[in-house]
Amino acid sequence: MASISGTAIATFARPQFAARAQVVKGFSGLKSVSFSIQRNGFPSVRLQPAPRRFQVSCAAKPETVQKVCEIVKKQLALSDDTPVTGESKFSALGADSLDTVEIVMGLEEAFEISVEEESAQSITTVQDAADLIEKLVEAKSS
Amino acid sequence: MSWLLRRNMLPLHSNSLARRPLASPPPLLPAPLPSPRETHLWYVVPDQLKDASLLNQYMDLLSPCERQSVLRMNGERLQKGALLARALVRTTLARYTDCRVSPKSFKFRKNRFGKPEVEWNKYDLWAPPPLQFNISHTSTMIACGVALDLPIGVDIEEKQRKTRNNILSLARRYFSPVEVAYLRTLADLESQRHEFIRLWTLKEAYVKALGRGFSGAPFKDFTIRLEASNSKQVTGESKSDASRIVVEAVDHPGILMNRWHFALFELNNSHYAAVCMERDVKDPADRENNSLKLEVWRTLPFVEDECVTETAAVKNIIR
Repeated sequence: MASISGTAIATFARPQFAARAQVVKGFSGLKSVSFSIQRNGFPSVRLQPAPRRFQVSCAAKPETVQKVCEIVKKQLALSDDTPVTGESKFSALGADSLDTVEIVMGLEEAFEISVEEESAQSITTVQDAADLIEKLVEAKSS
Repeated sequence: MSWLLRRNMLPLHSNSLARRPLASPPPLLPAPLPSPRETHLWYVVPDQLKDASLLNQYMDLLSPCERQSVLRMNGERLQKGALLARALVRTTLARYTDCRVSPKSFKFRKNRFGKPEVEWNKYDLWAPPPLQFNISHTSTMIACGVALDLPIGVDIEEKQRKTRNNILSLARRYFSPVEVAYLRTLADLESQRHEFIRLWTLKEAYVKALGRGFSGAPFKDFTIRLEASNSKQVTGESKSDASRIVVEAVDHPGILMNRWHFALFELNNSHYAAVCMERDVKDPADRENNSLKLEVWRTLPFVEDECVTETAAVKNIIR
């Protein structure tokens, strides 16, 4: 695991998104976003994957994936023999939107990073989360 | 008063293709369309389903794509929940079509932000009702809200839901400053937890009604709170204080986003439920002081429907 240099814990970044003022007035001009993280909605509608914002040249280290699996299993109270791997989709594991934000908070704490709303939306699998974490950790230490 | 209805003898369009020779499912109790400013909420309690053959009947209603999605869920309990959710949506919507559209025939698409909506076939002699719907589930309940023409969002949470993180930490991370301040006024942790959950359902319902996805309306950027209403109560409902639920943008405090109205209540003694519905701004009758109307049914599709609106299953309604 890359060592985390730098002293301060990252402050929570303000969520970025395009036309903020439109939250008040209406919907015009908003860029299309898709939500990959399931709400308590119904899981069988396949949502469009969000465009990849992060180009990672190689997948996250197994230890990172393992740590993410642990955090996810703990949050969702999954038994030890429930298989959770990099390919596991949060929605298929039964995570609702509150679970997801708790998982993100757990990851932020464990890895001392700050995840923006938009990045959080692009995570559908454990692997996605691990890749994002490593990207953020790397960005922090560089 | 509640009434129990078993299946009655109504004709149902049969489906041309069945994967296996299943008997046609029993007919569904039809429902009259929601009136303006009215939400219909249908909920199912998975634990009430004991009959495995019913699961087969539900599975038969789904599209191949939906079936695959159900089977991709991790474990039997989650699969059953996913299956029930689809069956609930399909059977609920079918009730509003006057028996013209069977649950199996419905098609769905997503709006450009990913919110599911009905995709109607073209009918020669019938205009399908402009049904808007939204579903929400927990492991112990699935709810489907229906409204006519105007966007709707529904969210339910178990009253006893515990969070792994500290409530105020969660609130500071995800809620608006006004909401955090409100939670901080609550001295005991249990009240804080309950209020957090209730606020969460309201915020979720709003975002789902907007239909733009979580990042289309980040939780941190809007406040939902109670506002003292200065209008007289027109209806005979008693409210301890004439206040209503309002939403405002954090950047524009005091400017209420009046196009949305809300209802928050307890459901089945087990859940908090929030409904958010858009107002019809073109309708002069849909003024600020006309609150959202609610009709609620407990259902086990094809088996039992019970209207629970005026019962103890729906209580502590705030609008």
